[in-house]
Amino acid sequence: MAYRRVVNLLPRGKESVFSLWKPRQQKVPCFIIQEHTINHVGRTVRTFHAGTTLMVAKLLSVEELFAKRSLQDYLKKTEVEYNECLREFNKGVTDQQCSQDELRTKRAKVSLLAPLIQSVRELDAKQKELAETETLLTEEDPALRELAELERESCLQDIQDLNQKILDLLIPEEEEDLSDLVLEVKAGVGGQEAMLFTSEVLEMYHGYAHHNGWSFDILEHMTSELGGLRHASVSISGPQSYKRMKFEAGVHRVQRVPKTEKQGRMHTSTMTVAVLPQPTEISFTINPKDLRIDTMRASGAGGQHVNTTDSAVRIVHLPTGVVAECQQERSQLKNKEKAMKALRAKLYSIKHEEETSKRYNQRKVQIGTRGRSEKIRTYNFAQDRITDHRIGMTVHDIKSFLLGENLLDEMNSSLQEFSNQEILMELLGENNQGKS
Amino acid sequence: MWRTSLSAGFRCFVCKRAGIKGIWGSNAVRRCSAPALPTDRITARQAADLWKRYFEEMGVTEPDHSSSYIIAYLLGAKTMESVEKGKLTEFLSQDKTEQIWKLCTRRLSGMPVQYVIEEWDFRDLTLKMRPPVFIPRPETEELVELVLSDLNMKPRTGVGDEALLTCLEVGCGSGAISLSLLKSLPQLQVIAVDQSQDAVDLTRHNAVRLGLQDRLQVCHIDVMEDAEAVLSLCNTVSVLVSNPPYLFSEDMTLLQREIYRFEDHAALDGGKDGLKVIKQILIQAPQILSNHGRVYLEVDPRHPPVIQRWVEANVEEMHYMETRCDINNRPRFCILQKEKSNKDHKLDLD
Repeated sequence: MAYRRVVNLLPRGKESVFSLWKPRQQKVPCFIIQEHTINHVGRTVRTFHAGTTLMVAKLLSVEELFAKRSLQDYLKKTEVEYNECLREFNKGVTDQQCSQDELRTKRAKVSLLAPLIQSVRELDAKQKELAETETLLTEEDPALRELAELERESCLQDIQDLNQKILDLLIPEEEEDLSDLVLEVKAGVGGQEAMLFTSEVLEMYHGYAHHNGWSFDILEHMTSELGGLRHASVSISGPQSYKRMKFEAGVHRVQRVPKTEKQGRMHTSTMTVAVLPQPTEISFTINPKDLRIDTMRASGAGGQHVNTTDSAVRIVHLPTGVVAECQQERSQLKNKEKAMKALRAKLYSIKHEEETSKRYNQRKVQIGTRGRSEKIRTYNFAQDRITDHRIGMTVHDIKSFLLGENLLDEMNSSLQEFSNQEILMELLGENNQGKS
Repeated sequence: MWRTSLSAGFRCFVCKRAGIKGIWGSNAVRRCSAPALPTDRITARQAADLWKRYFEEMGVTEPDHSSSYIIAYLLGAKTMESVEKGKLTEFLSQDKTEQIWKLCTRRLSGMPVQYVIEEWDFRDLTLKMRPPVFIPRPETEELVELVLSDLNMKPRTGVGDEALLTCLEVGCGSGAISLSLLKSLPQLQVIAVDQSQDAVDLTRHNAVRLGLQDRLQVCHIDVMEDAEAVLSLCNTVSVLVSNPPYLFSEDMTLLQREIYRFEDHAALDGGKDGLKVIKQILIQAPQILSNHGRVYLEVDPRHPPVIQRWVEANVEEMHYMETRCDINNRPRFCILQKEKSNKDHKLDLD
């Protein structure tokens, strides 16, 4: 399903979870390998061409999805479920034997499904309205015919919108999608060059955070001599931050002639991005006894005896050996707080990695949840292109891409779309995309 | 080309007083000479590397941190990390270069970085620093944490005491403790005293800078000489907090030059056993505190058991509650509570 991107700014622009089009000014025209086709209702639809590495056949359009038997069946099934739930709830209200807990569960279920069912019913109504309007198209009177034509246009638009809305509502929201995150970047293979690239990628995400109005707070930051970055942790918070950033996790690969290279040879280096959801205080506690805290003032008597400006704090979680370190601030207490934040995110991620990997095992493409060793994207400087391997999408103009603005945003949105389609297919019980 | 001229200046250890205008202020270095100002323009990063190497050669402690903090400050940031991207590789203006040289030269003599840049952070405050007023230590950040967590958990007893929660700080220095408490607790009033007029002035200055002067009273009083003055200021204080001088006199000579040459010895020397001021505070405490009021002290790691024994034997109304450790697991903080004894009541009845 191609979540329809409105190329021209139509007056009826809408914000849904899927169409993340932001009508900001475009800086650089980007050359996405795509095709614009006009479908039967006169809307432009974009499909992605599959490269040889592509695992997903293609993004289906809204219409194609709604044409699917499985979707229709699913919607019918859900409506039946809703009606039953509602009936049971109403019965339970009057029934003395029904417990408070049972009632609460039933009511929760009803309110969860209500928006979807509402939209489905609205869709039915609109379909009927369309049918009625179409009968008027055969009218003798040209004025009436014209009116009917306009009505029909309007109806079709509404139906499109409702289809979109229903698809949005079908995708369940994951718990973590509502949280903030800790971003970890780490230099991989390639020595100094890898570290320089890591630094550039972090800058890109800094730009992306700014672009989206998120906060970007550095917790850990280990540089190399040449101004590169060994590894860093950053706390990012803001609406939809985890939901978007999760697609950046994995191995990023750069192909270029390094600054350090004297003979002009091309090198391939890598860096890894990890995206860790930030747990709340309540949901995840760490026993202070399990921690060893190291500071520069550890030896000797400390206190009034010593004056230092090195307020770096290093925290080791003894049971697991996980370490977090911060020297970003002048205040030792602040460094300790930041190190704790990074540590919590790391420990939480380890705890839940097993859980989440089980959950996503069934999905073929597994966008956004790939293991840390999966190569997700290549930045080829010689050809000035960036390719995301999961969806076979290629974008040009690395310089602009690394600003972390529109180009990255576009790619990220495409990843979301593919991921959503995957989830939907799974929901409908289909194993192969593209089949109806 | 600039590289050779820099290293030439670097190797030259002759005093360059004549050639460089304005660099030698009243806090002039007496022993070490600074490298010459570069003839060609350099970047901030180059300046930082240069001065780091120079500090290393001249035996200045924490050479990397010293050059980084000074230069970052002059570029308008707290740390090199937070300097605006690109600023580090831009050429510095003549003016800026001279400023860097001026401040880094001060560091050569062992002047603490906090005095060189005249500021430092304490918890979430940035405070002005001025020699010889004592520079707050990281351990003291935890002392404030202790007081705050106790005050936040304390249930209010009785009617009308929501309005005024008063705290007394003995030996306020730059005002770090008092101002942190005031910032976090809007309902708190603080009385701060110090034997040094410089400290009193600096605390007042920092209070105004942070907009906290309305709930703060700062007085120039030496608790050792003039206990009466303190008693006349307050008699129903809920909290008495202090980071009093607690070094043993014999340890004073072992101090690093950053401390010995630049910080007020009176803020450090606690007498033979380091307990001179602490004892005085604890003796006065019962008259200052309301019943169940608490004393929070930062002390030397050797002190807690000594203090406990001494208080039990000498200060009837003060009960030793607990010892807490600092971030490096050293016994660092003593918490005591005033408990009016039953004996007094019995006497009244007779």
